[in-house]
Amino acid sequence: MKILIADDDALSRRLLEKTLQRAGYEVTAAENGLMAAQHLCTSDGARLALLDWEMPELSGPEVCREVRRKKDQGYVYMILLTSKGSKTDVVVGLGSGADDYLIKPFDTEELKARLRTGQRILHLEGRLVEAREDMRFKATHDALTSLFNRGVIMDLLGREVSRSRRDRVPTAILLGDVDHFKRINDTHGHPIGDEVLQEIARRLLLSVRSYDYVGRYGGEEFLVILNNCPSAAAPGRAEEIRMAVSSVPVATSIGPLSVTMSMGVHQTDNWGARSMEELLHEVDSALYEAKATGRNRVCFAKPASSSGRQRAVPVEPAETLS
Amino acid sequence: MWCLRILRKLNHFERAHLVDVATPLILNLPDLLNRVGDDRELLSELFFIFKSVFPTHLQALEAAISLKEAKTIASESHALKGMLLNLSAVRSAAAASKLEEMGRANRLDGLHEALAAFQFELTALLSQIEDSAAELSS
Repeated sequence: MKILIADDDALSRRLLEKTLQRAGYEVTAAENGLMAAQHLCTSDGARLALLDWEMPELSGPEVCREVRRKKDQGYVYMILLTSKGSKTDVVVGLGSGADDYLIKPFDTEELKARLRTGQRILHLEGRLVEAREDMRFKATHDALTSLFNRGVIMDLLGREVSRSRRDRVPTAILLGDVDHFKRINDTHGHPIGDEVLQEIARRLLLSVRSYDYVGRYGGEEFLVILNNCPSAAAPGRAEEIRMAVSSVPVATSIGPLSVTMSMGVHQTDNWGARSMEELLHEVDSALYEAKATGRNRVCFAKPASSSGRQRAVPVEPAETLS
Repeated sequence: MWCLRILRKLNHFERAHLVDVATPLILNLPDLLNRVGDDRELLSELFFIFKSVFPTHLQALEAAISLKEAKTIASESHALKGMLLNLSAVRSAAAASKLEEMGRANRLDGLHEALAAFQFELTALLSQIEDSAAELSS
């Protein structure tokens, strides 16, 4: 584990350095408080620190205060090491944000024991952060496919349409539905259906850019948001995504299954004043059109007008791919 | 007899401290060796660092005493005290501590006497360090 020693006394620094190296720590040394604070405030800085009280530039307690002010980073466990030993000093030291306090000259075994305590706290903090991140992921992602869940993808859609309206940049909304998915479930069982959905999710993610969004809209429906997608590129992009899903059979535990997807697309940089529900209804109508005209195809909602329902316009796969 | 029984129960480190308290040593070598994990090479290195660094602090302290700069007296004495404590140089650390207290309290009477006492302890310490260094290298 990485540890920072901050002490302006070269002798004390060397003694600590050697002692801690022997105890298995990866030691970094700083000669003054400013260097220490800068190191501890970087994202890859040490999370365990031994700080002398009196140092040039910034004192040990000032370093503690500086580090505690930065709340956006992982916890840093700081021990003040000093020859000050009065109760008032202890209160001031701990009040500045230090976690522990050790009187010079230190006893090696006590120092190591206190550092182990620090490691335990950091380990616990790591586990709490991990648990929080896990909960955050579960709250925002679909459990089966690990794509954004409906709530999140709808939120992202709202933001993206707002941005598109504000900056007049084109955005495309794609609603895809796996063709005859009920038949897959009925014929091969739900576990196989789940395998298919997982693979489709993976293919969708691979077929978009890192700044596009893919979410599970519900059941076998997926919503894809293509940011900054001009009208000339939209049919080609939609067709590529459809092909990414259907061109190669999905390998399942009972063997390969041919799966296709129908898609409704809405693309514009002029969304008018229509609500999100209306926009989704228009995309859904285009998807319905794709289903009605033979499935495994992409249909576009008619270019936007500020009011009224859109009529879907089918896009021939061969046409868009050429 | 009870004293002997207690002494037998104390480990090497504790005995070293007990001797410290009773009759402070110029350089408590057993205590120091314990601190450095019996690493004689490190100990020689620490002696070398001390001999290279302390003259600067001592000169700054002497200058501050001449100029009666209480804050600098306190900070320089504190720096020297820290080094001396790490070296288990109990008597000279105590003399530095006295100077530090005087500086912090802005008590400027008797500074020259306190400095002389400190210098005396330092001279004795340096001599002990030389002896110990020779002993360690042999």
